[in-house]
Parts: sequence; structure tokens; C-alpha cells
Amino acid sequence: MAAHTHENTAPQNGHLETASLDGKNKVLGFWLFLGAETVLFACLFGTYLALRNQTMGGPTGEHLFDLKLVALATAILLTSSLTSVLAMHAMNQLKLKTMQFWLGVTVLLGLGFLVLEIYEFIHYVHEGHTFMSSAFGSSFYALVGTHGAHVTFGIVWISTLMLQAAKRGITTEMAPKLFVSSLYWHFIDVVWVFIFTLVYLLGKVG
Amino acid sequence: MAGHNQQSTTNQPASRKPEGVMKHLISFAIMIVLTALAFYLVATDVVPEGWVLPLIIIFAAIQVFLQLFTFMHLDQKGSGYYTLFIMAGILIAVVSAVGIILM
Repeated sequence: MAAHTHENTAPQNGHLETASLDGKNKVLGFWLFLGAETVLFACLFGTYLALRNQTMGGPTGEHLFDLKLVALATAILLTSSLTSVLAMHAMNQLKLKTMQFWLGVTVLLGLGFLVLEIYEFIHYVHEGHTFMSSAFGSSFYALVGTHGAHVTFGIVWISTLMLQAAKRGITTEMAPKLFVSSLYWHFIDVVWVFIFTLVYLLGKVG
Repeated sequence: MAGHNQQSTTNQPASRKPEGVMKHLISFAIMIVLTALAFYLVATDVVPEGWVLPLIIIFAAIQVFLQLFTFMHLDQKGSGYYTLFIMAGILIAVVSAVGIILM
């Protein structure tokens, strides 16, 4: 029995990430961070919405945005949010391989999203819509670019955690890290929901 | 002993699985439908133009609610402080954003 105590037994409430005080604190602190992130993105959204019509004769959002591409990017990111949840399910059932599989899918979907976004930005630059071209350009790239940077960071974060989990397995020390990265990934999706609504769809509505 | 331990590790969470996964799948389906609906409303003109923006913002808000309370587990016991932190963030965020837009 004693030999087994260092291994994980199933957490009482089914949640390994808050099974230790350290884990509880990590999750609590991370929610505070997400609150601050919300304010950061709100300021970028406010700036974009205030400046989105200042195109200085350059291309407008209505002219630039391609809803099919955005719909695809949205579907990819939304699905990655689901696979991230499935990874956390597997984690709490101590199924390392299943968890790694879903985390891998999440990372791949994230990469797919990033490729689409880079393609989109290159296309825009060719159309004359750059960071320097107008206030619309600056606020657009500041907002969507900050989101893209978050996706990039999330991909690196989750990938490195997969390596660590492969070495250490699912422990009470690993679980909060994995859970918190999953919260981050959902938050990125939440921000994207507002980007496709207030940037792309609103751009088409006029 | 090891066998017993193994039993308890697999049994307890497994009994929770169907409910939890189903909840998330339903939540995901609703999000997909809302997203598709938002794109549809913008791409076509089935509703009057003035209604489109309020409707798609409501759809976005519902999606955020679903993300927070299902995918991010705010619906579970002991999430009081998490909810407090994120709601405080959202409050300041809304005030900031609206303030900047009106400036």
C-alpha cells in the first residue's frame, strides 16, 4: 500500500488539478491573470472599434475580409477548445496516452489556425493593408496580432507540457500545469469569438 | 492490494465520464450552431440590418458563458473566487472598452 501512495489514486472529487494546495493556488492565480488578460483585450477591442473606419483611403474591412477563411479558422479554434477539454477528461482519469493524443490534436489545430492567420495577413499586406497604412491597420494588427501571439505561446506551452508529461506521467504536480494551460487555451478561444464577431462579421455588416 | 488500488483509480472517475463528456459535447454543439448562425445572419439578409449586430453580440455572449461555465469548469463547486476574479476582469474590461469607444 505504502508503495502506492506516491502514485496517483483517483482524486476524491475527480479533479487532480486541485488535489494539492499548490494546485489550488495555481488555478486561483491563473484566474486572476485571465481577469487581467480580459482587460488587455478589451482595451485593444475598444481601440479597434473606435478606429476601424479610419482607413485613410486604403482598403476597408468590408473589402478585405473573407468570411469563408474566417469561418474555417473559427471552426478550427472552436474544435481545439473541445479537444483541450477532452484532454483534461483523460487527465483526470489518469489516462496518459489519451491525454497526450488530445493535447497533440489541440496543438495541431492551433498550428492550422496560425497558418491560416499568417496566410491572411500576407494577403492583406499585398492588398495594401499594413500596420503602418492607417489607424484601422494599426488597431487591426494590434488586436488580431496579440491574439495570434497568444495562440503561438499556447502552442509552445502545451507542446512543452506534453514532453514533460511524457517523462513524468500524470502527477499532482503535473495536473495543475496541464489544467492551467487548458484554461489559457479556452480563454484564447473566448477572445476569438469576439474577434470574429466584432472584427470580421461587424466589418461585413458595415 | 495493487489490484484493489487499480480498481479504485479506474472505477471512480469512469463513472463520472459519460455525464461530463456529454455535457461538453452538447456545449460544443451549441457553440458551433451559434457560430454558424452568426455567419449566416451576416452573409444573408434574413433579418433586418439593424438587428444583425445585437443578435451576433448576444450569440457571442452565450458562447463565452458556455466556455466559462462548461469548458473552464466554473460550474463546479468551489469556483467562487475564480468567478469573482474573472467577473471583476469582465466588469473593468467592459467599462474600459466602452469608455475608449465613446472617447
